Amino acid sequence: MSKELIRLKDIVMTIGDNEVLKKMNLYIRDREFLTMLGPSGCGKTTTLRIIGGFATPTAGQLLFEDRDITKVPPHKRPINTVFQKYALFTHLNVYENVAFGLRLKKVQENEVKKRVGEMLEMVNLGNYGERTVSSLSGGEQQRVAIARALVNHPRILLLDEPLGALDLKLRKEMQLELKKIQQHLGITFIYVTHDQEEALTMSDTVVVMNKGRIQQIGTPIDIYNEPKNAFVADFIGESNIIPAVMEKDYYVRFADRGFECLDAGFAPNEDVEVVVRPEDIKVVDEQKGQLRGVVESTIFKGVHYEMVIRANGFAWLVQSTKAEEVGQEVSLLITPNDIHVMRKGVAEHE
Amino acid sequence: MKLWKRLSYAYSVLIFLFLYAPIVVMIVYSFNAEKSRAKWGGFTLKWYRELFSNSDIMEALITTLTIALLSSIIALIIGTAAAVGIANLRKGPRKWLMNITYLPMLNADIVTGVSLLLIFSLMGIELGYVSLLLAHVTFNIPYVILSIMPKLRQLDPHLYEAAQDLGAPPVLAFFKVVLPEISPGIVTGFLLAFTMSIDDFVISFFTTGSGVSTLAIEIYSMARRGIKPEINALSAIMFLVVLALLLVINLRGGKDKKGAENRPVSVRARSSAR
Repeated sequence: MSKELIRLKDIVMTIGDNEVLKKMNLYIRDREFLTMLGPSGCGKTTTLRIIGGFATPTAGQLLFEDRDITKVPPHKRPINTVFQKYALFTHLNVYENVAFGLRLKKVQENEVKKRVGEMLEMVNLGNYGERTVSSLSGGEQQRVAIARALVNHPRILLLDEPLGALDLKLRKEMQLELKKIQQHLGITFIYVTHDQEEALTMSDTVVVMNKGRIQQIGTPIDIYNEPKNAFVADFIGESNIIPAVMEKDYYVRFADRGFECLDAGFAPNEDVEVVVRPEDIKVVDEQKGQLRGVVESTIFKGVHYEMVIRANGFAWLVQSTKAEEVGQEVSLLITPNDIHVMRKGVAEHE
Repeated sequence: MKLWKRLSYAYSVLIFLFLYAPIVVMIVYSFNAEKSRAKWGGFTLKWYRELFSNSDIMEALITTLTIALLSSIIALIIGTAAAVGIANLRKGPRKWLMNITYLPMLNADIVTGVSLLLIFSLMGIELGYVSLLLAHVTFNIPYVILSIMPKLRQLDPHLYEAAQDLGAPPVLAFFKVVLPEISPGIVTGFLLAFTMSIDDFVISFFTTGSGVSTLAIEIYSMARRGIKPEINALSAIMFLVVLALLLVINLRGGKDKKGAENRPVSVRARSSAR
């Protein structure tokens, strides 16, 4: 793993009476693609603005390679930003937009020409230099914004929901392209989004936030398979979250019966919560399942059917490629591998 | 149905005739060789020639143009700064300040004129070129603010941050990005202020001193000694200049994508309050 590049140390941000960030601690490594994920108002954009220098934290420090840059103004930070609505300069053409940062640094004209040309080439806008910004489509403006930031060779690129305004297909294309650019240039990306799928697709590390607190930090696989608490489990994909009792190691009781599981290290009879992903619940022949229930609804979702099945007092969300009829009695199987036990109400750094 | 259409057509013609006939008559008579207004004595440019050889009028012309230019530029600087400040206020104070900005425009010119006269004499400012200039700056500022404000409100707040992000210190970011982005509003504000300054009579009349007159004041004092054909010629020129400026302002507004929304307050607002 590469070395640490930037660190947020005990960052607190208060706006009016509202504590937007509550003692946030986070470090980001060089060349990492880190995504901050959370619902609106969770403090992710504020965190990004603090890193960019557009907001000063109420308390705490921002360290860049162990140097305190909390009070360094944005124009002196080795960081560039791709803004949410691109914020392109409409009085300049595409070329001049991209050249803006280089001209401020008094880079020589032939060097400007070379670097802007390369950058526009990289984002597939090679012949767009003379075009006006307003003549471009949303996706093209997006690319100009990325080129304008990256041409300055920043150490960190901040991206504030940059794909939010694009349609689904274009968004997916851009996700892959952004990841490619990041790997190609070896620049640290800090990406903010509320779209969990986007976060899982692109990131090396995902930081899930809620109400000004970090809930969990981990790789996309960790976050998906082993959510730390109900919030993370619920926010990352659909899931069944059920109150449970950990009777002993590797044995948990929920929905009125005991299940074998892979989790251990809890107190005997500790109150916990269990996550079961809808795609992990199998509809099986009678006798083979652990739960018996009745299908309440079936919706076609494209790849699979999504069913709500009532069993042992719970409405289970189940995904299957085979549809069951509403009213049908079915049997459900949950294997130890599919059960993830979480401590109650735990957030990271608490 | 056809009759109805014809009637409404005739009615429109009548209205425009009523509005523009006096001006047309004035312009036609400015080319009348006969000094009397009663009859047409053939086409001539004599009155225009006399106009340009009349030193009083030429002096007034220079006063009018320099006052218009200087007052517009000063109002532009003060107004732009004010607009940027107001745009960054919270909603409550911003609404208040905008209403305060509107008020002088709707105020009767005579009231503005008298109150300025009062304040100049209280402050011991001698009436003359300087007091005239100050008066024009005063009534021009609201026009500048109101032309720039819509542009500022449309501006993406992240533009200013983007410029800083790319390496511009705050002041440079303002001049390199914010100012160019709102420049259409600034140009409109300038043209509007310039037009209003040329157009003004009442406020100038109260705030100028002996020896300094604008064209409007010069025409007024000439007219008191009887309407001479030169006055027709002079008024015709003024009309055409103001008309040209208004055309430019409105065409600029129309060129904009969101023209209607951008168009500064009706350019005749002040005149209609007279």
